[in-house]
Amino acid sequence: MLLSVKQLHTWFRHQDRTIKAVDEVSFEIARGETFCLVGESGSGKSITALSIMQLLPKSNLQRHSGEILFQPQGGEREDLASLGEAEMQQVRGGRIAMIFQEPMSSLNPVFTIGEQILEAVRLHFAELSEAEAWQRVMDSLEAVQLPDPETRVHSYPHQLSGGQRQRVMIAMAMACEPDLLIADEPTTALDVTVQREILRLMKSLQQRTRMAILFITHDFGVVSQIADRVGVMQRGKLVETGATDQIIHRPGHSYTQALIAALPENLALQQKHELHDKENPLIRLSRLEIHFPVRKGLLRRVVDQVRAVDGVDLEIPRGEILALVGESGSGKTTLGRGILRLTEPTAGRVAFDDNDITEMNRAQLRRFRRHMQIIFQDPISSLNPRLSIAGILSEPMKVHAIGENQEERLEIARDLLRQVQMEEDALWRYPHEFSGGQRQRIGIARALSLNPSFIVCDEITSALDVSVQAEILRMLLDLRAKRGLTLLFITHNIGVVEYVSDRTAVMYQGRIVEQGRTEDIVNRPQNRYTQQLIAAVPRVPV
Amino acid sequence: MSEAFGKRQSYWRRILGQTFVRWGARLGLLWVAILALVGVFAPFLASSFPLLLSRQGELSSPVLSYLQPVDVLFLVGFITLVSLYPWRITILRKFFIMLGVLGISALFTYLWVKPQQLVIYEQYRVAETAGDYDWVVYAPIPYSPKDYQRDRGDTGLEAPLSQQSRAHWFGTEQNGADVLSRMIHASRIALGIGFVATGIAMLLGVIIGGLMGYFSGVVDMLGMRLVEIFEAVPTLFLLLTFVAFFGRSLYIMMVIIGITSWPGYARYVRAEFLRLRKQDFVQAAEAAGLPLSSILFRHMLPNGMGPVLVAASFGVASAILAEATLSFLGLGLVDDPSWGEMLNQAVQSSRFNWWMAAFPGGAIFLTVFAYNLIGESLRDAIDPYLSKSG
Repeated sequence: MLLSVKQLHTWFRHQDRTIKAVDEVSFEIARGETFCLVGESGSGKSITALSIMQLLPKSNLQRHSGEILFQPQGGEREDLASLGEAEMQQVRGGRIAMIFQEPMSSLNPVFTIGEQILEAVRLHFAELSEAEAWQRVMDSLEAVQLPDPETRVHSYPHQLSGGQRQRVMIAMAMACEPDLLIADEPTTALDVTVQREILRLMKSLQQRTRMAILFITHDFGVVSQIADRVGVMQRGKLVETGATDQIIHRPGHSYTQALIAALPENLALQQKHELHDKENPLIRLSRLEIHFPVRKGLLRRVVDQVRAVDGVDLEIPRGEILALVGESGSGKTTLGRGILRLTEPTAGRVAFDDNDITEMNRAQLRRFRRHMQIIFQDPISSLNPRLSIAGILSEPMKVHAIGENQEERLEIARDLLRQVQMEEDALWRYPHEFSGGQRQRIGIARALSLNPSFIVCDEITSALDVSVQAEILRMLLDLRAKRGLTLLFITHNIGVVEYVSDRTAVMYQGRIVEQGRTEDIVNRPQNRYTQQLIAAVPRVPV
Repeated sequence: MSEAFGKRQSYWRRILGQTFVRWGARLGLLWVAILALVGVFAPFLASSFPLLLSRQGELSSPVLSYLQPVDVLFLVGFITLVSLYPWRITILRKFFIMLGVLGISALFTYLWVKPQQLVIYEQYRVAETAGDYDWVVYAPIPYSPKDYQRDRGDTGLEAPLSQQSRAHWFGTEQNGADVLSRMIHASRIALGIGFVATGIAMLLGVIIGGLMGYFSGVVDMLGMRLVEIFEAVPTLFLLLTFVAFFGRSLYIMMVIIGITSWPGYARYVRAEFLRLRKQDFVQAAEAAGLPLSSILFRHMLPNGMGPVLVAASFGVASAILAEATLSFLGLGLVDDPSWGEMLNQAVQSSRFNWWMAAFPGGAIFLTVFAYNLIGESLRDAIDPYLSKSG
């Protein structure tokens, strides 16, 4: 075995409590194997990786015990937990390399990528000459298939795209030929098409060098693509380990079963709406354009336009859930906000029923806003931290004269909280007292408080764990059925799209390249870009 | 909304709680509170007029008839503050009630309170030695700040506690007035100028900065130029010019310090508003069709006040220093004592009298230090990246 972790405990002291971040974790990784640690946020996956690297914060560490036996190729077997700091530095980067989620913040912005890789190489191979070390840098950049490595080696991190930066991180890790690569959510910040390339790259590098990979992720799609074996973590404990196929299809532990069942792919598909009222759509966009001017110079002259939304025609029939999918930067969020005129459209029309929203003046628009609402992605920034939930829910009602007096409005707010499955006493609490999922429920309650007919849901589940995501999606479908809502569901998660939406529109570079019934788009995409996108989505085989 | 309070901590209560668990902030607050109490009750702490006396069985309180309108105003303010404290309403509402009460009582006190014009400090001492009174209760420091004790001959420049017959805890200055008494009365000026000047600066800064941040574009560009112009004005020289033109007035000083120091606050508020403008909850407020005033004052301002308050606590300290500097240069108030002016006196006398420099200088140092401690702690409490334990 390359690495065997035995009875690892990592406990932290926080104020007066003990937090068992990693509790009795034991697992083994063989040479050339990919071991995936999966779990929801806060389950201790990353802390396990940091414990192996001995990179834990010392200040509030309460207990750090267990054996971490590591046997590099042709080397002695040693217990990393008992190594001194100087010896550990030889292991880190040299024998065990690590890459992180956010490549921008892991690279130093003031050095070229060549210099950064060179530093790592010289540290671990002091005997190499200048030319040899530089050759090694170039080899590693070629190995990660960075296009045009001769010139790219002199670029700074900000000059590269997210995918290229992650390639550089991998190149830096690979330059010293480690025996074990620890990858902590390396593709979470990337688009699916880029993610696919990075995963492929890691696979091919692994086959060439026979290194082992400890891959940390929360995404079962990625797990099914890359892992040989899987370990499932829950609240610091490793509840189950097994071969990938076994974990995904025949999970043994009840927690794993619940996790797998909560995947959008596994949720019982609902009856899709067949639309009755195609003639008379609720929302009709015609040639909608939203451009952002790029200004330069002393007088802030407009030198260019960023065409975030570039001529979109779209109809959303009453009672339909339309999914808007696309990669980051495709303009889907801007389009969602443009429909509500939270971002001013540059040209084109937005018709709501028979009202032209783009023609309204400020006062008219303010009164009209009760018909259309928005729910945001980030549950932390979407609620005002200074207001109680009662204030958050009742203020919009007061402005739009819903409810006779404050008592009545609070009664409505209580009812809304019940509808989003929250306790009534949440009314007198403040946002910081709630978890992410609960905050998202409050966000939904706020959107519903004005009893709107149309809601833009902007990536509302992408910051949530799968089990919470499943609950929120179920609840949303339930509310849609009860209230006859029309939803624009912006997301990049194809599994979610398949589960919730009736129709799907695919956005690419500010335009809608394809739209149609979700089933057709997902299974028989026509457009080339859509085909690429769908093919790149890591799917759990059902 | 009354249910909400008491049950749960609001954001500001939490922040203030976290600020004042730090011992530095506690010491700072303690010192400022002592100063405030001393300032409010100055006429009863240090006065040549007896608090209470009995003359042939008839009770009277001479100190009351010599109270100035300002003294009454301080007392009214203090009583309102204490009685508002247990009331469960928002801090903002308390602030407005406070402001209203002060405004009204200022009007009435200046109309009605007519202190005796003729002030003879030694008359009670003389009468007491003559045995006119049955008994007399004096203030803890039985000297007014401008009581030069002519009845006792030359009392100038006595070192602390050098005379057995009459105790001067902090000594006397060259005219013979008690240093401690002068310091007690001067604490009002220090506190007043700090709060009023910073208040003016904050008000201007929040309004101008908020408009720049919310509307951005042309408003922002013009506003920033205005900020740059005001930042280029040297406060001290402007103050010197104004003193030369309009004479010495505490109020002019407050206003000038206020209107030359707002750009700092405007910058903070602008940056905060530019950030908040993009926050989801502000977008949500806008999407709910809330009026502009609610978006600005209910959703954005309270979330952007943190850095401004931190800057304000340092601003109070620097306003106090500015007044002390001016008084030290001899351009402060003519007859009322202030700490800076007392330092000036210490320098002017022919030999060095340590008590005249050490006590007012120490008071300035402690006050500035106290505000800096509070500001430091407030900054840490607001910073989300520093945990409570850290």
